[in-house]
Amino acid sequence: MSRPNLAEILDGRKVVCCVGSGGVGKTTTAAAIALQFAVDGKRVLVLTIDPARRLANSLGLESLGNRETRIDPKLFAAAGLQPKGEMWAMMLDLKLTWDELVTKQSASRAQAEDILKNRIYQTLSTAMAGSLEYMAMEKVYEVASSGRFDAVVLDTPPTSNALDFLHAADRILGVLDNNAMRIILGPMLKASKVGFRLLAVPSSLVLKTLSRFTGAEFLKDLAAFMLAFEGMFEGFKDRAARVNKLMRSPEAAFVLVTSPTPLTIQEALFFHGALKADGVPTSAVIVNRVQRDPRRLGGPDNPAALREALQLAGLKDENELAQRLGKTLTEQATLADLDRREIARLEGTLKATPLFTVPRLRKDVHDLTGLWQIDNCLFAGGE
Amino acid sequence: MASALLDRRLLAITGKGGTGKSTITAALALAASRRGKKVLVCEVVANERVANLFGKPASGTEIRLLLPNLYSVHVRPREAMREYALMILKYETLYKLAFENAAARYFLSAAPSLAEIVMLGKVWWHATQEEERGKPRWDLVILDAPATGHGLTFLTVPEVFLQLVQDGPLARDMRDMQSLLGNPDTCRTCIVTLPEEMPANEAIELHKALKAHSLPQGPLFLNGCFEPRFTPQERVAVARGGPALAAAGEAADNHEARADLSSLYASVLGKSVDLPLIKIPFLFDRVFNAQAIEKVAGIIEGAL
Ligand SMILES: Nc1ncnc2c1ncn2[C@@H]1O[C@H](COP(=O)(O)OP(=O)(O)OP(=O)(O)O)[C@@H](O)[C@H]1O
Ligand SMILES: Nc1ncnc2c1ncn2[C@@H]1O[C@H](COP(=O)(O)OP(=O)(O)OP(=O)(O)O)[C@@H](O)[C@H]1O
Ligand SMILES: [Mg+2]
Ligand SMILES: [Mg+2]
Repeated sequence: MSRPNLAEILDGRKVVCCVGSGGVGKTTTAAAIALQFAVDGKRVLVLTIDPARRLANSLGLESLGNRETRIDPKLFAAAGLQPKGEMWAMMLDLKLTWDELVTKQSASRAQAEDILKNRIYQTLSTAMAGSLEYMAMEKVYEVASSGRFDAVVLDTPPTSNALDFLHAADRILGVLDNNAMRIILGPMLKASKVGFRLLAVPSSLVLKTLSRFTGAEFLKDLAAFMLAFEGMFEGFKDRAARVNKLMRSPEAAFVLVTSPTPLTIQEALFFHGALKADGVPTSAVIVNRVQRDPRRLGGPDNPAALREALQLAGLKDENELAQRLGKTLTEQATLADLDRREIARLEGTLKATPLFTVPRLRKDVHDLTGLWQIDNCLFAGGE
Repeated sequence: MASALLDRRLLAITGKGGTGKSTITAALALAASRRGKKVLVCEVVANERVANLFGKPASGTEIRLLLPNLYSVHVRPREAMREYALMILKYETLYKLAFENAAARYFLSAAPSLAEIVMLGKVWWHATQEEERGKPRWDLVILDAPATGHGLTFLTVPEVFLQLVQDGPLARDMRDMQSLLGNPDTCRTCIVTLPEEMPANEAIELHKALKAHSLPQGPLFLNGCFEPRFTPQERVAVARGGPALAAAGEAADNHEARADLSSLYASVLGKSVDLPLIKIPFLFDRVFNAQAIEKVAGIIEGAL
């Protein structure tokens, strides 16, 4: 089967986003792509979210602080690699990214401080659905437009719903939208010459009713939050529009990662459709952790024939060894069949989108050697 | 302690995404229904799954019978919000006025965890509903809870809410909910995990977090386990057996690699989590349907 190669597909991209369901291998794939870029001579940053501890440790990453860390060249040498470029990594700290953004966009220190200590802001910046996705995009935009790197590879949080990811910014901005809030909180805010001031009690029937559900305290926080954000919203909206534009430009590539199980394939197809509907083409689909079919090596697979093969090799069929081998072969062949069927279904539906597969390795991927093994499947066009 | 698991009023099943929460939920429900209990499964994530596992169409927001004694329902935020608001407000017009306008939508999206509050509220309502005085409608309600991070948010929503609001009808319900969730005689939260690094680590963190929030836990389910099948000597011998045994040798190596991970993470979890561990074997069923659930239920029944 002839297919375009992944290196060509990703050539010249400033941003590569690895998206997909939870646990399929987004973090691993993002790191593997970054490694390949570095080996090929690029100065690349992989922006990762919650990597497995062993992977982070083995790359020498610090867990906090949004710090860009260069992967030690000694680690490459130890893995037998001689990169022509540089590989950098950073773990995204959600709260810190929000805080930095607010501080940067605030007109004054006082405004920033008001926001940072507000309870609504604290929920927004730590727990609100879509917040992490939004900040990941935001950080990518900042790094990509800084010119410090040739390319940024973005790992994304496990978003179960593709729309959460694509519309994270709109959704969060919807919450920040002063105009909408002003309608509902209007009665609590009193316009004065200096701006808006806070009145204590909700007065309208609507507000009173809603406050029975959330408590009046919440309304006060919300109004205070809105006041604090006064004037900043336009800046946020502006930036979000620019992030959106970058993500939809040919400088960005979306790589959809999936595992071969029916449910995740289903989600991948849904994700693919949602990206497309949003005007974002999927550059490549990677099916990760595919069961290799032991039958590709030939040889007998039923107990009787295995018994003969054991005999020919001078081995005893003790404790029903042939039986156990046959059972194990059949089990793994079943898994390989199931994977093949799902991949065929995916290929049939996607048609034009190039698809790559990575076998399930025997061990977790937790260092450069493991990542390089993945690269050999993705970029060298073979297993 | 584990033996009485199915005698609780409410079980919440959580864990990392894709570890088998819905599978375990379905199997527990089947096991309980076979003991003659009337069971309701509540699903709260976007894609309903349990009815399908039993070969039935999705239940939607109406309670549907799946098997004798076994029912399921899909709890969705919008419907739950409406029902709940109406229960408190009593008047449709007031509800419409307050909730069905653009401004309220923004407001509601900013209110932290309002969706979770009303959904958990609905589950709690099912779990405490009485057919007649003193006779509960359901013997057991099983909540197929959201994955880890969100799952914790979900189950601790009453606690968080009560920190912000102390009075009003909602606060009263939240207090009742919290005492139900926190009572080890009525409720247990069970974590489902896999013998892999990330799911196992998440399970340990989640276990600690649930403990810190005083949510009583049931057994830990380690799903998708492989048992050792070959001795090291056998593997060496087969590997040396030439091309005719190459495929069998690779299959045996793959199998043992997964068996090693299973025993590694079983011991890691055993050391860091003070709960009984129930191992569920990896199943090679070509379609994961009622038959597979039946097997899992059988294993759980054997372990309880
Ligand atoms: N091809 C592979 N073979 C074997 N193990 C793999 C492979 N790819 C990934 N893994 C392992 O699977 C686990 C999950 O991978 P990873 O962390 O990359 O997933 P993720 O999609 O980022 O997960 P999350 O959604 O939780 O962030 C890791 O422990 C990783 O080492
Ligand atoms: N013991 C098992 N052996 C083999 N496959 C299993 C086993 N348990 C679950 N599976 C498969 O794993 C996949 C995930 O299971 P399930 O849907 O129960 O997980 P979940 O935790 O509910 O996922 P989600 O987080 O998406 O709700 C399904 O395809 C299921 O068929
Ligand atoms: Mg990840
Ligand atoms: Mg599920």
